Amino acid sequence: MALLVLRRDADSTYLEMATNPTVSGRDPLATGAALSRLCTGLRNALLAARNQDGGWGYAPGRHSRIEPTCWAELALGHSQGRPPDVDSIRRWKHQDDWLLDVPGTPPNIAFNALAALTLLQEPSAIAFAQPVVARVIQVKGLSFRQTAALGQDNSIQAWSWVEGTASWVEPTAWCLILLKRVRSQSPSQEAAERIRVGEQFLFDRVCHEGGWNYGNPEVYGQKLWPYVPTTAVALLAMQDHREHSAVKQSLQQLQKDVASERSVVAVALTIMCLRTYGVATEVLEQTAMERAASAEPGNLLATAMMLYALTDTRQRSAFAL
Amino acid sequence: MRAGLSRREFVTALSVALLGSACGPSFDPRRFHVPRASAVGLFPAGSYAVDFADLIFRGFQELDISLTGRRVFLKPNMVEYELDTAINTHPRVVAGAAIACRRAGASEVLVGEGPGHRRDMEYLLTSTGLSDQLREQRIRFVDLNHDDVAIVPLQSWFTGLKELALPVSLLDSDFVISLPKLKTHHWAGITCSMKNLFGTVPGAVYGWPKNPLHVHGISNSILDLTATIRPHFAIVDAVTGMEGDGPIMGRPRFLGFIAMGSDPVAVDATCARVIGLDPEKIDYLKPAAEFLGNIDARRIEQRGESPARYAARFDVVSDLEHLRLSR
Repeated sequence: MALLVLRRDADSTYLEMATNPTVSGRDPLATGAALSRLCTGLRNALLAARNQDGGWGYAPGRHSRIEPTCWAELALGHSQGRPPDVDSIRRWKHQDDWLLDVPGTPPNIAFNALAALTLLQEPSAIAFAQPVVARVIQVKGLSFRQTAALGQDNSIQAWSWVEGTASWVEPTAWCLILLKRVRSQSPSQEAAERIRVGEQFLFDRVCHEGGWNYGNPEVYGQKLWPYVPTTAVALLAMQDHREHSAVKQSLQQLQKDVASERSVVAVALTIMCLRTYGVATEVLEQTAMERAASAEPGNLLATAMMLYALTDTRQRSAFAL
Repeated sequence: MRAGLSRREFVTALSVALLGSACGPSFDPRRFHVPRASAVGLFPAGSYAVDFADLIFRGFQELDISLTGRRVFLKPNMVEYELDTAINTHPRVVAGAAIACRRAGASEVLVGEGPGHRRDMEYLLTSTGLSDQLREQRIRFVDLNHDDVAIVPLQSWFTGLKELALPVSLLDSDFVISLPKLKTHHWAGITCSMKNLFGTVPGAVYGWPKNPLHVHGISNSILDLTATIRPHFAIVDAVTGMEGDGPIMGRPRFLGFIAMGSDPVAVDATCARVIGLDPEKIDYLKPAAEFLGNIDARRIEQRGESPARYAARFDVVSDLEHLRLSR
């Protein structure tokens, strides 16, 4: 079996595939040992790539960004059975209650929702998530006039990636997960209404055979394909509607599509999603290990997501409602 | 509104006019120079089995391009993968271009793309086979959606934006080559070396599919990106193009050539004519001719094969029939 191991050269630290001749196929004990070593490699790679400011870039040596920092902290905490260390997120540069990924650019709404979800995992940091939650409740994607080219309802104002643009599946899904996570602690009419609109948006954007494309299910009468990572995140957001026919169909579509999926990020998100729905993931975890072993080195987002997906399944997921 | 003006044309024209009247000119003519003539080469490539490194290197020689000591950035077009389609710049063309750049003296060759649809770069790299090609040639790839960025002032202001965050890997290079696939585009008419620059805009900053650019107008954004990035060269994969509902859902159509040139506007205008579209009617090409490059066929010096050899009538979506060339 191939394993990821940590390598260092003059310029960087990176993961590289190595062969372990003592571990074979599907023997549970051997697989367990291989998994343990893989996770150790992933953890070490993350720790080695941490920037001096406490955050992570998308690749080693790159500036700290919100998304890889959240995933790295979630994964390191999850893999050690503790809440994430959220110090760097608490100290993140912010403006008008939004965390700024890159100063001078518009706040990324999806990554802010992810940051708030990360803060919610640490009991002492919940108060720091509240301003972001309030902003997420306020902000809306643009509405557009109906066009024959797009077979969808353009009037639904869910969430966009950045303010002043159209609603999109991924930011809507992350914002929905966030608002659904906090609704029991701080129920409000406004939050309930935003959840209703977000769900309406996701139901409207379901692809014909189930699952979600990034935004449109249809353009110029042509049906667009669902994507694995988008579908996995949208299903996480709709986990409280698991009896709905569109959700059931999308879950089936995801399980079908992931079989041919090559991306570590997509497989990792699918494992997280399927576990939330109570679907067995052992075979997919095996696939994930193989995919991780052959992945391009230096993708810290993929490294963190895979570590999160492959460790300690007994813990409550940060994305479970 | 003149007869035959579509709603999209009207809105684009109006937005440009409004910007012009409300915010001043859309570009500073002192910063730009349109050459008296631009050379564009069309070089035959009967299939994806040809030696693209050799073909492109010969193209560099034909067009007097020296890359000695240059740090070259190659920007292919990678959007989505679906078997038997013609969505992306073919990986053999990308690898061939990289090898040709090295042969032409480049000190470094970097390939980078930031897909506007698929966020998942790893999926695209592996499914298209580009990662194998790059690994074999030891060429580094940068995911522009997730690269570090620097904020740069825009050099024209068609969008009304003053600045944009762009990937440092692109900005740190000193010779940018746009390496698109020739396709029809259901909003912009044609996607070629200029529209390809959408992929330099970082998704992790602006979201997908680079939505602020759509809100400020696709044509406006193409103009501002080209004026700011100023690609030094274009190499167009027109071995098999895409017609109809491009840039993703259209049909593959064989053309059989690689187009090359230092003036991206002239390259795109030539490619538009080859597939039966009038550059004068493409929203972004006409204003581009005022400050970025040539679209007038009389000011485009053809090298290699004549465009007439490859002339085709590509299908377009019904909204774009008005873009047809009057032959």
